[in-house]
Amino acid sequence: MAAGLVALFVAVPLAYIFIRALGAEPEAWQRLIQTRIWRLLGNTLVLVIAVTGGALLCGVSMAWFTERTDLPGRKIFRWLLAMPLAIPAYIGGIVHLALLRPRGGYIPQVLESIFGQPVFTPSPLGFWGATFILTLFTYPYVYLLSAAAFRSLHASLEEAARTFGRTPFQTLFQVTLPALRPGLAAGALLVALDILAEYGTVALLRYETFSSAIFVQLSGRYDRSAASVLSGILVTLAILILWSELRLQGQAQFTQVESNWRPAPPTILGKWRLPAFLLVAGLVSASLLVPVFVLAAWSIQAFLDPQTLATVFRTGSQGFGSYLWNSLWSSGLAALMAVMLSLSVALFSVRYPNRISRFISRLCQVGYAIPGVVIALSLVLLVNRLLPFLYATPFVVVIAYVLRHMPQAVRASESALNQLSPSLEEAARTLGRTSLQTLMQVTFPLILPGLLAGGSLVFLTSLKELPATLLLRPAGFDTLAVRVWMWAEEGFYTQAAPAALILVLASALPLYFLLRREQIFK
Amino acid sequence: MTTLEVRNLVKHFHGTEQSAVNDISFELSSGEILALVGPSGCGKTTTLRIIAGLERPDFGIVCLNDRVVASESIFVPPEQRGVGMVFQDHALFPHLTVSENIAFGLRRQSATQVKQTVGEMLHLVGLLPLAKRYPHALSGGERQRVALARALAPRPVLVLMDEPFSSLDADLRMEMREHVRQILKSMQATVVFVTHDQDEALFMGDRLAVLQKGQLEQIGTPEEIFHESDTRFVAEFMGDSDFLKGRVLQTGIQTEIGLLKQIIDLPVSTEVEIALRADDIDFQRDGSGNSVIIERFFRGAFNLYRLRLDSGQILHAFTDHTRILPVGTRVRAFISAEHPLTIFSE
Repeated sequence: MAAGLVALFVAVPLAYIFIRALGAEPEAWQRLIQTRIWRLLGNTLVLVIAVTGGALLCGVSMAWFTERTDLPGRKIFRWLLAMPLAIPAYIGGIVHLALLRPRGGYIPQVLESIFGQPVFTPSPLGFWGATFILTLFTYPYVYLLSAAAFRSLHASLEEAARTFGRTPFQTLFQVTLPALRPGLAAGALLVALDILAEYGTVALLRYETFSSAIFVQLSGRYDRSAASVLSGILVTLAILILWSELRLQGQAQFTQVESNWRPAPPTILGKWRLPAFLLVAGLVSASLLVPVFVLAAWSIQAFLDPQTLATVFRTGSQGFGSYLWNSLWSSGLAALMAVMLSLSVALFSVRYPNRISRFISRLCQVGYAIPGVVIALSLVLLVNRLLPFLYATPFVVVIAYVLRHMPQAVRASESALNQLSPSLEEAARTLGRTSLQTLMQVTFPLILPGLLAGGSLVFLTSLKELPATLLLRPAGFDTLAVRVWMWAEEGFYTQAAPAALILVLASALPLYFLLRREQIFK
Repeated sequence: MTTLEVRNLVKHFHGTEQSAVNDISFELSSGEILALVGPSGCGKTTTLRIIAGLERPDFGIVCLNDRVVASESIFVPPEQRGVGMVFQDHALFPHLTVSENIAFGLRRQSATQVKQTVGEMLHLVGLLPLAKRYPHALSGGERQRVALARALAPRPVLVLMDEPFSSLDADLRMEMREHVRQILKSMQATVVFVTHDQDEALFMGDRLAVLQKGQLEQIGTPEEIFHESDTRFVAEFMGDSDFLKGRVLQTGIQTEIGLLKQIIDLPVSTEVEIALRADDIDFQRDGSGNSVIIERFFRGAFNLYRLRLDSGQILHAFTDHTRILPVGTRVRAFISAEHPLTIFSE
């Protein structure tokens, strides 16, 4: 019953987008088909493919270095390679843009002053720039999944290949990587969905995709029927990717370590130790150390300049504290709601597995496929029509967070419940507890860590969510993400830096908690 | 006094052709241990779960102390049945200590009473020093004993045990059997014990119920089950019997390895099969004998020989551990049993 309501809550905004898209005037369709759709589709797909490829290359190779070689500093690198997840891609984009901008970037300026003439440097703008930045901040998904897979693979699998006459190199490509395939595919699809939904980075780097085009339609020209058409296509694309991801999800259970597991002996890098170290260190610098260092430097600069300091702490009627507070409470509330809703879905689908419960659980995962801009569009239209009293309140923002990030909570709750043996609940029943008492005294305390993990994930991703917040927030409701974006868009980097740094630190905390649960960090 | 009565129990699961439990009936008196034994998938665990209230029967009645707890119109939920259950995976609550686990079922009692009962139970299972430990810090045998203590603590009318020793290794299993049986008897508990291991069933049960394909094949004392099997399945499952063909004569039964002098109430020249266990057969070296040794298994205290009769029939025989004959030796096999053998007519 409760689970059904949750499913309805998720399904309505999605269905509404399709209704609006199909119901748009034929003119809108025709205009879009003639002018923009094909270019947008091409742009979006090329970017998705390029970034997914880049993330796979970086993620898998880094996982191999930290899990399967004698790379110096493996333990620290594991953390450093996963931590970029705490940095929203648009903040990383802001930093790299400031450093590399063709005119006025720090690095070109420094080079010019040394050589006395302009020196060519690659531009972070456009397709290649977007690919570079987005790869830097999405590869950790692939890294975490493939590191876990490398870690849990039986040594005997590779040993068997060796006894059949394969060299270590052949073994890697013929046995190890194919065995990791389901996990890798799951990671790649996660990246692909992320790129479809990405707004901040592509807007910043002036590369037009579906998400950014919808955003422009919604905020600038306010053409809702064009936005609906574009959203309908974008969501169709995302659902196709999500559908293949869900099909693989069941096969990607690699992280359980069996009792007779033993680690495969690491590959000795020998003379390749230094190049490998430099490669890993380079990636870590670009994706984590440089952004954090630059943000810290800008923050210090901001604190040293009284005028900037005054703007940071007081813009209009709102101060720094209120952005932080807005960010924390909206994301926190979204996390709480998502966990509570997901628990009812998970209880239903895990304890009463049948067609209906499986369908509801799947339906709750579609949030993955609805980019923030689309959720925003759908909620603007729906709330306006059905729940006008909610219009222009922060709660609409919270609802968007819940819709978009509930899949993570549903997955976390389901996996926590799946790990709980039903005999524990049965034991409580035979010892005189009703089913409700059993839920409260046995089930709930035991799955609490899993629920907290799901909650932290929702909190973390809501904190970073930019487009939905920008489009749905009532006037004056500024979060850290919104403030960073607006200041950075106007070019006030030093002013934006303290907020960005706080945002990164606030995300790093739940991320640390989540990573500690992973096998590779134990 | 009858503690448990099960009448015409039927349970069918969706998506399966055969009924998991098909018309099972039995009674259990107070203080008795009944072992439900059979191969996996025979319905023994389902029967147990129906008695506990964890499954609803499709048909049939379950009575506990003359109170109907399950029928077509009545279903008493497990928490109101007052049965204790020991689970296959022990199902100890990982977030509670050993004492707290044992105290979990003790309700509507004062704190001192609870403390006293927990202390008594810990003493009974010999785990007093481990009271404050958490389940993950216990060995397999210790977990097993905590699970037993937890089930016994509320003094249930009936204790249900679902393959409780299956997660232990062989040595420990033997040790725990004795210990657990002793505890159950000292508490005068009424117990239904499920196992797929015939040795364990013979050891634990005051009576045995042998199940196959959801049906009750035979119920009786260990001796009855072992020596007077009602069906060929029981003879085969409960003691690895071989079946030797024979023909009824007035003086006994004529077989390939001689005349069995056991008078049987069947018409002359009926074809029958005799259930023979390895301790019912002996043999002597004989160059013109009726069989050949095809394998010898050294079992420490004795040798188990596998013999092939000239007809191709295989028989097994135990001998002294010192008596060693090479494979291929021709021997004369004969029936050495001095007790009546179980005979099945076709």
